Amino acid sequence: MTTQNTPAPDRVADRKRRNAARIAGEVERELQSLRGREDRLAGYDYFLDLLAGGIHPGAVERRTGMPALNLLCIQAPLELIHAAGFLPFKIFSGSHAADALNAGGLPALTCPLLRSVQGLLQFEDSLARRPWVLPTTCDWIVKLPEMLRSTCPDAKMPDHWLELPHLKETDAGREHWRDEVFRLKKFLENASGRRIGRKDLARSIATYSRAWEALSRLEARRQAGAIPFVWFLALANTFFLDAPERWTASVDALIPTLPDNAGRKEGRIFFAGSPVYFPNFKLPRLIEEAGIAVTGDDLCSSGRIFPGGVSADAASEHELVAALAQRYHQGCLCPVFADNDRRVHNILAVAGNFSGVLFHVLKGCHPYDLESHSLENALKRQGLKFIRLETDYTAEDSRNLLTRLEAFRQTLGEA
Amino acid sequence: MVITVRRLRTTAQYVSFIVLMYGGRFGVNLGSAVPCFACPFVRGCGGQCYLLGVQGVLGFGMNLESLTGAPLFSALGWVAVFIILTALLGKIWCGWVCPFGLVQDWFSLLRRKLGVRERMASEKTLRLLSPAKYILLGYIAVLPPLVTVGLLPSSFYLPFCNICPGKALLPLFTLDGEYVAVLYSTFWTALPAVTAITLVGMFFKDRFFCVFCPMLALIHLLKPVTAIRLLKDNDSCVGCGNCTRACPMGISGVSRERERFDVQFDSCLDCARCAESCPSDGALRLNWHRRTLFSSSRLYASRRFRKP
Ligand code: SF4
Repeated sequence: MTTQNTPAPDRVADRKRRNAARIAGEVERELQSLRGREDRLAGYDYFLDLLAGGIHPGAVERRTGMPALNLLCIQAPLELIHAAGFLPFKIFSGSHAADALNAGGLPALTCPLLRSVQGLLQFEDSLARRPWVLPTTCDWIVKLPEMLRSTCPDAKMPDHWLELPHLKETDAGREHWRDEVFRLKKFLENASGRRIGRKDLARSIATYSRAWEALSRLEARRQAGAIPFVWFLALANTFFLDAPERWTASVDALIPTLPDNAGRKEGRIFFAGSPVYFPNFKLPRLIEEAGIAVTGDDLCSSGRIFPGGVSADAASEHELVAALAQRYHQGCLCPVFADNDRRVHNILAVAGNFSGVLFHVLKGCHPYDLESHSLENALKRQGLKFIRLETDYTAEDSRNLLTRLEAFRQTLGEA
Repeated sequence: MVITVRRLRTTAQYVSFIVLMYGGRFGVNLGSAVPCFACPFVRGCGGQCYLLGVQGVLGFGMNLESLTGAPLFSALGWVAVFIILTALLGKIWCGWVCPFGLVQDWFSLLRRKLGVRERMASEKTLRLLSPAKYILLGYIAVLPPLVTVGLLPSSFYLPFCNICPGKALLPLFTLDGEYVAVLYSTFWTALPAVTAITLVGMFFKDRFFCVFCPMLALIHLLKPVTAIRLLKDNDSCVGCGNCTRACPMGISGVSRERERFDVQFDSCLDCARCAESCPSDGALRLNWHRRTLFSSSRLYASRRFRKP
């Protein structure tokens, strides 16, 4: 007799509960550690509260009263989405518990970020009831819906694909992308039932420009050493967790309270490579432990969390949409593009202002992995220090990473 | 109030407009070799557009005897003055000083206020039109001497002024109806047509007339001696295209350029709007003889776009 066995649905529900608890535990632990830091400022609390409120579009909707729209990556113009009355919500997950959820059903070297996102989406209802827009960036993103469906047959598929041309220097690529953005506009208008006019666009562009101004000022203070990397990451990570106006105001309020200048000039490095997301701050904390300060980064979860700075003096609707399209494609520094040398040159140019470069590769994240090698050679030719760290969401390699970081610290001079 | 490039430029444009259009009424005279449309047909103007001078010089003052003595010296003197003024400021004359440029900017402003889309600004169209200004310059160079040697009637002596929309529009600012009526009665029949096209063009395209301006072509030919340069650090450029969209001349080369240091292309007006809107630190610089007047910066650009 098997009467003692729990029926399958309950078992699933049970597992969900357990996983939810595990993820919540992870979040709580990381929050505790942030709250307990000596360098915590009152101005950080707003951002910590956002993280504590749940990384879920539902939380954002409750907070803002606006319907959310799910996104991945940074190529769908936020201003356009905002102009349609949606709050863009970038799905992300740094949760190892979510990552571990479906290690079984996927290729061995699946990007941990995408595996974690997939784990999260499986038992959260974040996709339901909200439009989901997906740009075709890297292979993992492109395959995410398929992977989702393989573990969860009734998983929601994207409502709209944005086909991202992987050539951005060619006219054909640029024109195709512009058409894609105009199609996105149509989609958004249908989804929201309202037309996106030039005034809406101008207003949303101004809103995100103000956010970008705040981020730029924050970036300047960070480069001066006034904000530890962990905090900068936490702040940037929250960008999609509230209305941009409120986030901007909170950054503006924080900036004057930052210490005038922090620490020594030596041993400051630039952090490039795969994104780092809350609550997986393992690497940033190890870097700190090793006595290295990160005062600049190129992460799409941090310094490049949104592109901003769209020149939009032109005031017709068509020109504003076209301007957004250009800014989000031509000016995008994601490594998925085939004509990628601007990105490499940019990093080389910026890196000159730092003592060295740390390149983070999430195991299985091909675009960054690939570029790390050519970058390493170029940087070393320039006489810059370089370290490449490949890791995932597990904690097992922490000791090893720390040892390597400490050795790297030695090479930066200044004990 | 923060001093921004935009405010400086606008101020310079208005001050120049007043000086060049009305200066003569207060005894200001900047001479006959001003490298912009300081139209001498504006009664009471404060200086004279050198295109008039060019036509005069090339036509030998309609009189071959002027090749000797005082007239020659005076002509050469003005050539020298023109070269010096151009060398000093390059196309700052176009972007910051030219009164006709300001008039065109008003039309652009109106178009933007009305939310009308800019036309004729595609890369292809602009590439196609880029020789036009040199062709007009050639026209200026060839006709006056033909008048002097008797191959053309004397009405072709000022072939450019006779088709210049500046001559039709700028005198309106004298607010002197009688004078304007008399002036208009001397017009070639082509002028009203050219002016009408220009008026429509100015509304639909930023700096429409500059696309065809022979003064711009002339200043560009003198580029080797001018002190102003627009320079680009290609390694810092992300390729966002902000510069192209900010550019009233629609120059895409600044954004597309990947190698060259000098990105002052031939239709550039030195207005510096590109550098103002560039979000990359130090990617674009406006230099005056090795001295950097303005260098693009993320913080500057971020402040520039916050207003809707
Ligand atoms: S605005 Fe600056 S970064 Fe953008 S394309 Fe032009 S030069 Fe490059």
